[in-house]
Amino acid sequence: MNYDFLRLTVGVLATVGLYSVLYRENKFYRFFEHIFLGLASGWTLVALWTESLKSNWWDKMVGTAAEGTNAAANGNWAYILLLPIGLMGYFVFSKKHNWMSRIPIGIILGLWSGQQIQVWWNTYGPQINASMKPIFPTTFSSFTVPATPEAGAVYPSQAITNFLFVLTVLSVLSYFLFSFDVKNRAIRNTSILGRYLLMIGFGAIFGSTVMMRFTLLIDRMYFIWIEWFQTWILRR
Amino acid sequence: MSVAQPAKRPLGERLQSLPKFWIYSILLVLTTIPLFVTVSVPNEPQEPAIDLYASLMQLPEGGRVLIASDWTGSTRGESGGEFDAIIRILMRKKIKFAIYSTADPQAPLVARDSIARLNDERRKAGLAPYERFTDWVSVGYFPNSEGATNGIANDIRSVFGGRKDFPPGRPPTDIFQSPVLQGVRSVSDFPMLIVITASKTSNFTVERVYGKTPLAFAVTGVMGPETQVFYQSKQIVGFAGGLKGVYDLETMMEHGINNPGPDGKIVVPSSKYGQIPGFPGMPNKGKGTLYYPTLHVALALLILTVIIGNVGMFLSKRANQR
Amino acid sequence: MNPLHLLAQAPATNFWAEPNGSTSLWVKIVVGLIFGIGLIFALMAAPPQVRRPIVAGVTFLAGLFYVLFYLWPVPIDQKDGELPRNAVEGVGFWLKDALGVVVNFTNILTGFMIGLGIYSLLRIHLRRFFKFQKDWGFSLTLLLSMLAMIFFGYADWLSRLGERGALLDERSNWTLVNYGRDFLFEGLLQQMDAAMFSIIAFFILSAAYRAFRIRSVEATILLATALIVMLSLMGAVQYAIDTPIKQAAGPNGFLLNFQLSEISQWIRNTFQTSSLRGIAFGVGIGALAMGLRLWLSLERTGGNG
Repeated sequence: MNYDFLRLTVGVLATVGLYSVLYRENKFYRFFEHIFLGLASGWTLVALWTESLKSNWWDKMVGTAAEGTNAAANGNWAYILLLPIGLMGYFVFSKKHNWMSRIPIGIILGLWSGQQIQVWWNTYGPQINASMKPIFPTTFSSFTVPATPEAGAVYPSQAITNFLFVLTVLSVLSYFLFSFDVKNRAIRNTSILGRYLLMIGFGAIFGSTVMMRFTLLIDRMYFIWIEWFQTWILRR
Repeated sequence: MSVAQPAKRPLGERLQSLPKFWIYSILLVLTTIPLFVTVSVPNEPQEPAIDLYASLMQLPEGGRVLIASDWTGSTRGESGGEFDAIIRILMRKKIKFAIYSTADPQAPLVARDSIARLNDERRKAGLAPYERFTDWVSVGYFPNSEGATNGIANDIRSVFGGRKDFPPGRPPTDIFQSPVLQGVRSVSDFPMLIVITASKTSNFTVERVYGKTPLAFAVTGVMGPETQVFYQSKQIVGFAGGLKGVYDLETMMEHGINNPGPDGKIVVPSSKYGQIPGFPGMPNKGKGTLYYPTLHVALALLILTVIIGNVGMFLSKRANQR
Repeated sequence: MNPLHLLAQAPATNFWAEPNGSTSLWVKIVVGLIFGIGLIFALMAAPPQVRRPIVAGVTFLAGLFYVLFYLWPVPIDQKDGELPRNAVEGVGFWLKDALGVVVNFTNILTGFMIGLGIYSLLRIHLRRFFKFQKDWGFSLTLLLSMLAMIFFGYADWLSRLGERGALLDERSNWTLVNYGRDFLFEGLLQQMDAAMFSIIAFFILSAAYRAFRIRSVEATILLATALIVMLSLMGAVQYAIDTPIKQAAGPNGFLLNFQLSEISQWIRNTFQTSSLRGIAFGVGIGALAMGLRLWLSLERTGGNG
């Protein structure tokens, strides 16, 4: 039996098995679900070692001999201390000592939180800058942008668009920041406007999400009907 | 004694309660049939995808880029299509690349298997395959995405240090001996960092690498709107979002930008760029071309079901008011 | 013994680094492991009142590294062999050199922690299998799949370690273990991964049908925007709407602004991007505050300490 046909057929069986849950929960689905979990966790263990820990941890700890064009490298024995620290994380399963699991988590979270200062500025600095748009027109020679616009000019249509942009950013921000009860009517109304404008963002996210999920389904249908059925069963 | 017939439910109520089995079955059928029909759909690439393609085509031939490949089979349709398109462009421009992953342990092998498939395609077309270690290297997987990306931004030699890849005829060798990474001292030595991802690693990259080298993204549909925010503030040079992004790239690979076709018509016009060639006559069609027509049918079905549900709601409201 | 040599600016061989395969290296590794295990036992015996300070101290020191890295002057374009001129530069040089090692530590610790999920999975399914609890057959399936993947995954990796490793990029050179890995990874795992995620498409359609109702202003705006976005993603629809407008308007005509592509782009650039940016700013302020609270251990969570 051809290897490619066997591989594709098993893949189709597994796909159909998982899709059977759409009808109802059944043993066929659970069988393939458990195979999936087993394979995924097995591969995680393989990849963790072969793609990461072997070179990052083991080779750095025990060093490497000269081989081919690779020079010999000394071993740094202190890397062994990471093993007991990492194993402390497994104490989360202990009722009495689960506080120790917070030590490695604390290290990782501490390192993450220390990065937030620069992360915040790298992310939002340019965005704050890009949100400062000119909201007053500088020329009234044309309402909309002509085919050959004047250099640096802001036309009325652009000014209106920019104003709507800035208004949306500020009102959405006001909706988030003023989540407590505010007496000031201007701020309250701005927050309400922000809530409506937020829906535009959510609508866009929904539309894009739908495209993504349908693409995944179309890919599965292509796999079953074209890559397997048409190519191997119909032989076209 | 006659049995009382159950009262027929009003139309509004029936329209709002179509059985799930029918909806699922119709979706399955409608996402299958169009796959058997070859249809060419006209396409107007979006601006971010045009900028991405132009940036890739403006990279110097024979140069090198860094790629973060953070996708697996779960997003094969979108991320796989983006990966294929971008790697095809890089291979045709003879640009070397180093691939690393931070999101998923499966990602490095998925990327390598995809490159093997693209190499098979090159062999069939009579082109030399991309040689591992000489033309491209696989750096491996980094479990902590934020930390690794921060390290790449500030000290790439230290973060990639000790990693080995497989040159032909030699044992696993330090990747900095590869022509891909020789002389690289910082991430700024790469003219571009391309992130192909199905997760938040694109956000992590902007947060930590922005300002050090131009960034280009290829994201799934879900991440598209969020990535648009980075694009608008020029934190990234361009991006491809979802299946539409894949199809945009494939369209430009076929027709170029501002390139008149045999009939004299320009398929992809852009006032920002001059003439940028495509790769006519080469295998450019991928998942975008294959799946895009079917996506129309699926989206139309969703729009129709939403309309049916709302019509049912209005009819029910009217019936209740009577 | 110079503690600074632990992370950076170290000569080739020192207290912390020994030649590969040397007895002294292995002795130090064993001693280090014993010390680490002793540390675990010491922590297990720690009284409750020191637990929170230990966790808070470790978190603070970890965060302090990056805070110092960003606030302390660090060398730009450091040349090989360049030495610091004073203590301030010395600390900056140390921070720069230590960054790669700290990143490495983070990756290694995260790698060990990823094993937590797998350990949890194994605990449940091994117990179910050995005690013949309900659905033990499925647990056996899971364990066998895991073992098969581990075996073929490692065997495939080992087969690529020699000089012939690169030859295995071509299928004609494959052996049984390579086929086994490919079958399990590409043939099964990737296809099942894709199938699992694609099931959501059915649920999205069903949910949109049942729940997407124009009952309020917000829902109407959401639905209208989603509709415009979906239509703009459909190239054929866009072509059908835009072509007559292009023909009627001519080059540079005002009517061109009413093409679906122009309208969707305007909504995207004016409202969609700005509203998501507003969300991002709000989330960012929260993340910065959360980062500070985590670093200073001001977050109160449940459990001991």
